[in-house]
Amino acid sequence: MYRYTPFDKAFVGERAAQFRDQVERRISGALSEDEFRPLRLMNGLYLLLHAYMLRIVIPYGTLDSRQMRALADISERWDKGYAHFTTRQNIQLHWPALRDVPDILDALARVDMHAIQSSGPCIRAITSDHFAGAAADEVDDPRPTAEFVRQWSTDHPEFAFLPRKFKIAVSGSGADRAATSFHDIGLKLVRNGKGAPGYEVSVGGGLGRTPMIGKVLRRFLHREDLLPYLEAILHVYNRIGRRDNKYKARVKITLHENGLAEFTRRVEENFLLQATRFDGSEQAEFARIEADFTPPVFKEAPVEGFERALRQDPLFRSFCETNLARHKAPDHAIVTVSLKAHGATPGDASAAQMRALADIAQQWSHDELRVSHEQNIILPHVHKADLPAVFQALRAAGLSTANIGLISDLIACPGMDYCDLATARSTNVAQGIAKRFDALKLEHDIGHLKLKISGCINACGHHHIGHIGILGLEKSGVESYQITLGGDGSENAAIGKPIGPGFGPEQIIPAIERLVMAYLALREDADEGFLTTYRRLGPAPFKTAIYHSGEQINAA
Amino acid sequence: MPLEYPELSLDDRVAQLNKRGRFLTTQEMLGQLLEDPGCGPIALVSSFGAESAVLLHMIAQIYTATPVIFLDTEMLFAETIEYQQLLAQKFGLSDVRRITPARAALFERDSENLLHRHNRDACCALRKSEPLEKALKGFDIWISGRKRFQGGVRKALALFENEQDQRIKFNPLAGWDRADIAAYFARHDLPRHPLVSRGFRSIGCAPCTTPVRPGEDERAGRWRGAEKTECGIHFGPQGAATANVVMRDSGFAGDDWQGGFHDVEEIANLPLAETAALAIDLPNDFDATALLAHLHEIDLVRVNFPAFNDGRGFSLARQLRLLGFCGRLRAKGLLADQYAMARRCGFDEVEISPELAARQDEPQWLARANWQAGNYQQRLNPAMQTSLA
Ligand code: SF4
Ligand code: SF4
Repeated sequence: MYRYTPFDKAFVGERAAQFRDQVERRISGALSEDEFRPLRLMNGLYLLLHAYMLRIVIPYGTLDSRQMRALADISERWDKGYAHFTTRQNIQLHWPALRDVPDILDALARVDMHAIQSSGPCIRAITSDHFAGAAADEVDDPRPTAEFVRQWSTDHPEFAFLPRKFKIAVSGSGADRAATSFHDIGLKLVRNGKGAPGYEVSVGGGLGRTPMIGKVLRRFLHREDLLPYLEAILHVYNRIGRRDNKYKARVKITLHENGLAEFTRRVEENFLLQATRFDGSEQAEFARIEADFTPPVFKEAPVEGFERALRQDPLFRSFCETNLARHKAPDHAIVTVSLKAHGATPGDASAAQMRALADIAQQWSHDELRVSHEQNIILPHVHKADLPAVFQALRAAGLSTANIGLISDLIACPGMDYCDLATARSTNVAQGIAKRFDALKLEHDIGHLKLKISGCINACGHHHIGHIGILGLEKSGVESYQITLGGDGSENAAIGKPIGPGFGPEQIIPAIERLVMAYLALREDADEGFLTTYRRLGPAPFKTAIYHSGEQINAA
Repeated sequence: MPLEYPELSLDDRVAQLNKRGRFLTTQEMLGQLLEDPGCGPIALVSSFGAESAVLLHMIAQIYTATPVIFLDTEMLFAETIEYQQLLAQKFGLSDVRRITPARAALFERDSENLLHRHNRDACCALRKSEPLEKALKGFDIWISGRKRFQGGVRKALALFENEQDQRIKFNPLAGWDRADIAAYFARHDLPRHPLVSRGFRSIGCAPCTTPVRPGEDERAGRWRGAEKTECGIHFGPQGAATANVVMRDSGFAGDDWQGGFHDVEEIANLPLAETAALAIDLPNDFDATALLAHLHEIDLVRVNFPAFNDGRGFSLARQLRLLGFCGRLRAKGLLADQYAMARRCGFDEVEISPELAARQDEPQWLARANWQAGNYQQRLNPAMQTSLA
């Protein structure tokens, strides 16, 4: 893991002190609310429906047991004793008082954490593959690049007041678990013909009101050119991105309105200028960062105990079937801990659960934890011999739900529970679906299926990339849920298509049930996943299944 | 347009009217004005709030067809709308114009009606200032119900004001106090706004108004908890500018640049060879490659930030430095909290208005004069500073 240098520590401490001062100046009137707003946003503090919300950064989703315990303490002291893990690999604390926020930031700084650039129109915290450094299919570890870009973008003086927020994701595997095609900039680690390290750079992906798949600006960019190239993209965007309409201000629209060719021309032209400012000395820092990510020394141990447990304990077997992923060390596994117990709010963990996760990671996973953008927690390096013990410890903490990748491992934005902009509830639909399929006992038979729910067209629940997406809208005063099919956030990026008129809150769960039943009837065999079946047959048979039953439909 | 003051400036008219006003009662002044052929069209702007009945009643006594502009922000209390209808009917007002925010703007900027929670100034601009500005097009004078006793910035209110050289604003009740208002209500038996009996003394939009506690300032119930006291339609040119201050790493100083600033368009026509010292003003969306041939001739470039959160000027500074500009680079329109950013992007100094310098004093700016500390970009790339001037 990356280790904070004295420089990092001093920076984070100084920022917390600056924010304390800004809060005082806001209260004294030296700063107006208009002036204070961007400053608090830069420090992760939002104003939501009921109160403030503080969004704490977990850099590219990585944290250790000490940090997890600190988060548990913070959520107990300043929130209601639980934390919400979001789709942006960070956590949110609700209801902090403005006066307490500086103290929270100090508590975070003590464990090398912060809330910097988790909101506002700036370069947001970098996200990456939650299996980085562990996945069997990894080509190169994306974390050194993520950290490198984290440092470059932190407090970047030119880009603190962009037209809109700006998100960068980095991935280093064949399977794109960081959804790079749906970020303002997506960086894929690749090597050129000579084996030199570099990146495929895509720009202008995003979800929200206008979902778009990122367009490739460079098939191969040398690692040495990364920072000047990023400077150039951001510089061009900052200058020509629209500021007159916030729905047209993201770089995807800049790219769309100017055209890929013109945008690329401007970037490449500016890149030549920017490159004169860099002399390659930044590569020394890259090498230093890389050294911090040297893989841990994996232990050797016999795995008979694990195999015996698999045979003897059906609960353990079912957990292993869904919640494990292949590790690059064959006698290790990546364990995904589900925060989607059937009927619970997706992404919520209590302070006690967070402490349990910290203990487990410290004892059995080289002191590392990850947060996935699917709102689960990862134990990246567990030896198979330790899995039975890990499973028992998770069970004791109420964290052994065996549903990773299944329909109840769904993503839902907070919707009307917390969000000003929501047009419909989303968590109750999520809980309803999870409970229904749990009762049907069909989840495991259905297999891999990504279901995602957003409470309004801003699409924080990423419904556009759900194999099944649900979008909550308001139609003349009543909630109406629209279904989209065929979305895919992986390396085969696709945006889901609306299937037809929406359903009321009472009808949406039965409609999803009919849809999934249709899939079970239509698939060639148990190995054909939902998305494959959908791509083979197209929407028609699913549409018939959803609408044929005669249940009344809200006219759209 | 006024007939008899063709060559008088607005300032002169305002001065004359203020002189006249000193010798007349409120009703007389109103009467003269409404019938004065020297004045252009006149409108009364009324919120139909707690005390609005006074002016509405007076106007109706003179001329019931006087245009009355009623700003419906679409955030008002239902009681206000009822009260508006009641008064219009009772007084026989025949030209009440209900003005609402522009649909398109509303959809664009506040489709959820939640803007007031985050940014009241923007909300008031959208729902009050802009619609009013539109509604007042073509009027020479508008009448407002502000009074000195209402406190805050209104304590120094003149009878007539020059409103941004656009038109005249008339505050007939400027000198009235609470007792005068109460007496007028009693004498003419005017109906009260239904919310007055529930503790409201100054009534605006529902989300931004609370009752006033006994002994509090009249408008204390407006925008409670914010420092805001005016909605933006009543901000004039006052707060008169003295000289701007220039902030550098050493602190505040007066502006030592006496040469004035040229618009960038003029540069082609300037006899550059003879110009000893040249300063130009650049809008923040300017593309500096157009200046490439002249960069070495310019001594000072001032980049104007139309709003502190419009970050284009930072990129313009970076571009100027990348293109080799090594003269003085000045930013105008930034906050103390942005000083370090400005310096790191290549600015040498920041020009500050006296108003901002008073609110954000020198120590607050100096707190960011250590702009070289904690600089990630420079730490990654030590070569960087040398390429900046
Ligand atoms: S999708 Fe809409 S409702 Fe859900 S969190 Fe985002 S803005 Fe709020
Ligand atoms: S008074 Fe409040 S709601 Fe009304 S326009 Fe102003 S800020 Fe908005």
